[in-house]
Amino acid sequence: MSNEAMNKDKWVKLFREIGLDETTMKQWHMEFEARYPEGHQSFLEWLHISQDEISQIRSL
Amino acid sequence: MHTIGQVAKIYSLSRSTLIYYDSIGLLCPSGRSDSNYRLYSDSDLKKMDKIALFRSAGLSLESISLLLDKEEDELKLALEHRLFSINSEIQKLRDQQKVILTILQNESASRHSRVITKEVWVSLLQAAGLDQAGMQNWHIEFERMSPEAHQDFLESIGIEKDEINAIRKWSKAGNN
Repeated sequence: MSNEAMNKDKWVKLFREIGLDETTMKQWHMEFEARYPEGHQSFLEWLHISQDEISQIRSL
Repeated sequence: MHTIGQVAKIYSLSRSTLIYYDSIGLLCPSGRSDSNYRLYSDSDLKKMDKIALFRSAGLSLESISLLLDKEEDELKLALEHRLFSINSEIQKLRDQQKVILTILQNESASRHSRVITKEVWVSLLQAAGLDQAGMQNWHIEFERMSPEAHQDFLESIGIEKDEINAIRKWSKAGNN
């Protein structure tokens, strides 16, 4: 999937707009990691997040 | 009259393509210059317009050659036939996409799959506490913030074109 238009900040903004708070987002990542670790990785790459930060998010 | 170089430039073709068209009788220039160079008349260009159009519809040179002399009705029929075969090729690709997603989605494979499907997204958004209305809201915001990424995203999780259009339509409506 090519992705020019979406990045981390926009994604976070999108989630905030619909009322997800910091805790829920963290929970969402943990859920994502537990169920689909590889999908989680590729999603974070899709948002142009650096590998260091990806490792950090995935180890939440 | 137009030289082969001019015609090539107009249609972004190479001269050798035009020479080939001449050799197979598809487009033969009506005239020759004193030094025996090919010269194309306006009606040759009209014919070339049609050839270019049919090429862009994916028709073979052979069918174009047959079509150029045909009546309007037969032309329509041939184009409909081409449209039908394009549609069935698209359908075939869709089916393949579906099979691949299903394979990758199988319980054993999915944990290690990099492919994120619609079902994965829905289950994750549900886990984050979003209900039906929350997910609708999410689409509406996504569409508002970045319509292009919304389209990309929906395609990437294997949703079909009709459903994508429908989702984006009500998302847009929700923005108003």
